[in-house]
Amino acid sequence: MFLDIKNLSVSVEGNQILHNFNLQINIGEVHAIMGPNGSGKSTLANVLAGKEDYEIHSGQIIFKNQNLFDLNIEERAKQGLFLAFQYPVEIPGVNITPFLHSSINSKLKSNNKDEIDNIEFAKLLRLKAKDLGIDKDMLKRSVNTGFSGGEKKRYEILQMSVLDPELAILDETDSGLDIDALKIVTEGVNKLKNQNNSFLIITHYQKLLDYISPNFVHVMMNGSIIKSGDKSVAADIEKNGFKIFQ
Amino acid sequence: MYIDKEYLENYKNLLFSDFEEVREERDNVLKKFVPIYFDKKNNESIKNVDNNKLANLNYNYKKPADVDSAIKNSNNSYTIKLFNGKCDNYKDENLEIKNIDSNDSKFFFNNKLANTSDFLIDLNSLFLNCGVKIIVNKNKNIDIKILNIVLEDGLTIFQKNLIICEEGSKVNLVEEYNNQNSSIHNIYNVFEVKKKSVLNQFVIQNNSKNHELYLSSYASCMKSSEYDQKVYNFSNGYVRNYHYSELVEENSTVSHIGFFFINSDNISDNKTYVRHLAANCQSNQIYKGVLTDKSKANYFSNTYVDKIAQKTEGYQLSKGILLSKDSTYFSKPELRIFADDVKCSHGSTIGPVDENAIFYLRSRGISKNTAIKMIISSFINDDLENISNEQIKSIVTKNLNEFLDNIV
Repeated sequence: MFLDIKNLSVSVEGNQILHNFNLQINIGEVHAIMGPNGSGKSTLANVLAGKEDYEIHSGQIIFKNQNLFDLNIEERAKQGLFLAFQYPVEIPGVNITPFLHSSINSKLKSNNKDEIDNIEFAKLLRLKAKDLGIDKDMLKRSVNTGFSGGEKKRYEILQMSVLDPELAILDETDSGLDIDALKIVTEGVNKLKNQNNSFLIITHYQKLLDYISPNFVHVMMNGSIIKSGDKSVAADIEKNGFKIFQ
Repeated sequence: MYIDKEYLENYKNLLFSDFEEVREERDNVLKKFVPIYFDKKNNESIKNVDNNKLANLNYNYKKPADVDSAIKNSNNSYTIKLFNGKCDNYKDENLEIKNIDSNDSKFFFNNKLANTSDFLIDLNSLFLNCGVKIIVNKNKNIDIKILNIVLEDGLTIFQKNLIICEEGSKVNLVEEYNNQNSSIHNIYNVFEVKKKSVLNQFVIQNNSKNHELYLSSYASCMKSSEYDQKVYNFSNGYVRNYHYSELVEENSTVSHIGFFFINSDNISDNKTYVRHLAANCQSNQIYKGVLTDKSKANYFSNTYVDKIAQKTEGYQLSKGILLSKDSTYFSKPELRIFADDVKCSHGSTIGPVDENAIFYLRSRGISKNTAIKMIISSFINDDLENISNEQIKSIVTKNLNEFLDNIV
């Protein structure tokens, strides 16, 4: 199993968010999690990425045969886990290009691969940016600083594209995107998708899943998955809302 | 209080001691040094000063035996080494550098700061013992580097420099303070930025633990002039940066920008004060600091807009990163506006490193230490990118990296 989450219970500031959560993802699969606000979707994403604000009460997460809890945030990233944030944080003064260059080299180094030099990286970044319709001037700016909502999401996908993760978690990447931006972002995801990586897509709406076809759709409510199925589950939700699962 | 005793005992050794009008002025200044002047609650200028130490200072000034200090590097570049506030005289077609001697008593009265009660500037007036005058001639474009060198332990240097940028001149001035001895250096720089002249000043401070630097400045900016001051404090000892300026004539601009990076129990004591006295002028007052251990900083920013100073634009900002729970940064912005058509604002953000930003960077494979370094560096990165002088950029970068290596 590529990712195996078993009986995971998590709380934050005394409030339990995840209750005996279970999910298995095989390599090459695309899973979508849909759920109403407050169902614990973003908590799951943050716990997977290693955010330290959460208290893990029970359960385990095995990723590529390793206990994920043994790895800190950056070690998880180096192992190929990537979180596209719902609300990407602005970091004024930290320039996008050297930051991403450090990121990719840190990953390459930890995998005993040759680091990539400035010129080669600049070429790679420009190419990936062009694919996503990102202007090269944007690459001179500080991380997420002064970006519109759509630009931030596109920039998240750019990072994903450059870092080429094995497990990408997209936390409501569709929120705040207009239809054109949604198409660009999903095209970026589809280009990256292959038999050697997996995606966990968190969303409220079916629209995103019209462009990225998932193998499984899960409904999450009150910190647990209450139904799993194929793409038709998303169509049910779109038609009837989440109330049919309550 | 021994200030009066030290003053009277050492009067003969002070600069201009032979001039009666200077004596009268000094005696007036001395009258200010009554107990209430030492009360920190009533006197912001000594908020973080060890005033007992100053009240009990042992006056000790030695003229350097021999100085060989003014060097012309190329057609428009000069390096001036000030040893205990003294240097050689020098003159060419671009500028004149003149060591202040007892015959130039007018110098004492140059640019007295109006309406401001500053303990350390008053102390400078009282014990003034050295200084230089630098005059940059009309329409000249030159670079000047001043190295302020204190030669031995235990000195009390009260130095005043007058730098005049004549009409249409452009001056890039770099001042370095890199002293490793336990002396007190009280220096007051007075700048006259004449019509259509430009003064870009970089101040780099990297003194050792026991060296105390009290740096004050006053700039008067005339019509269509620009004065841009940037202070970088990496010192391991006490540093006080109090910088005042007056926009005297229309269309002039001033920037007081400062960065400090302090650790241990060090103190960075900062104030900027801009008086808008004419219309269509702009000012920026921005101080940013990173503090760790038990270090302490304050920043007082002040904008005064006279009733005739319409179309003023004044901006104040203070930002601080506290890397430890025992570090403190006190910021107090003040705006006093008597004109009705102005744009003025202030902002302040002080707190620990943004945990969400650290998480974001780490989630991309960056280590925690590197993430913290990136965020701290980001404080100064935008400014560094705008520095065209590669030597300054390199010095600031080196000092910043040393600071980061020691704290993370």
